[in-house]
Amino acid sequence: MISAGNDIVVLQAVDAQRTQSPAFYSKFISPKELALYKPDELSLVNFVWMLWSAKESAYKYLKRNNPELIFAPAKMTVQQLRIFTPLKTDTNAHNQYKGELQTNDIALPFLSVTTDQFIATTIDQGDVRWAVKQIETSDYESQSKAVRSFLLDDLKMSGVTIEKHPAGYPVLLKDGKDLGIAVSFAHHDRYISYCYQISK
Amino acid sequence: MDRKEILVELKKVLTPYTENKEMLEGINEQTDLIKDLKINSANLVDIIIDAEAQYNIEIDFDAAEKMYNVGNCIDVISEKINKPA
Repeated sequence: MISAGNDIVVLQAVDAQRTQSPAFYSKFISPKELALYKPDELSLVNFVWMLWSAKESAYKYLKRNNPELIFAPAKMTVQQLRIFTPLKTDTNAHNQYKGELQTNDIALPFLSVTTDQFIATTIDQGDVRWAVKQIETSDYESQSKAVRSFLLDDLKMSGVTIEKHPAGYPVLLKDGKDLGIAVSFAHHDRYISYCYQISK
Repeated sequence: MDRKEILVELKKVLTPYTENKEMLEGINEQTDLIKDLKINSANLVDIIIDAEAQYNIEIDFDAAEKMYNVGNCIDVISEKINKPA
């Protein structure tokens, strides 16, 4: 199926102390998933939010074809997680992770980037384009406007507009016709992200 | 505690997580936490943890999944409060 799902979590906007409490992360991370955690690779805070963002991304991906779906992170299981490209520079240390998530009988691969500022994840199925950008303000209206402009600027296609489907996901239209490109938006605090899938 | 009383307390729980204070003031049982109150999904677990503390209850995995609108939140909290010890 063609779909898209992504998420972003900005670390300065979450309660790091609370995140590390078992009372918090056990709401959506099982003991089996916790066994995937490698303290020498990343912090517990980053691990917890990576799993959250993978589950949120999977929810968005699946909801497009199942509008009645309810977000149930405890019923999704991250089964694999491995570091993909560790990258470190003086100014921007980040790692990329690849993983696989299982929900009911569906397995979805995902790709996550962790930095000191954010965790961003996309479902990595088919031909996926994905980008993240920092913005000036963090109110909902600004985030929503900025992420739409960000995608349209990158697409470099004239006459393209974005509308919201009644089920909640964005739809790309050209001259009023659905382009058939599955798009997902995410925003948190001063970061925005989009992903889209053109083909399977 | 009846549903109206739970709603009053629930507003206090939700306050830190929405910038839409005007809508929060007028919430009803159909109000969606994400679509209407624009609460970021990353705060959903915070809300569950805060609700647990506010009402001195424990909200398990299955119940937490139902808490996507105000009415569902009240259902879950009401059931937990009134559960016999």
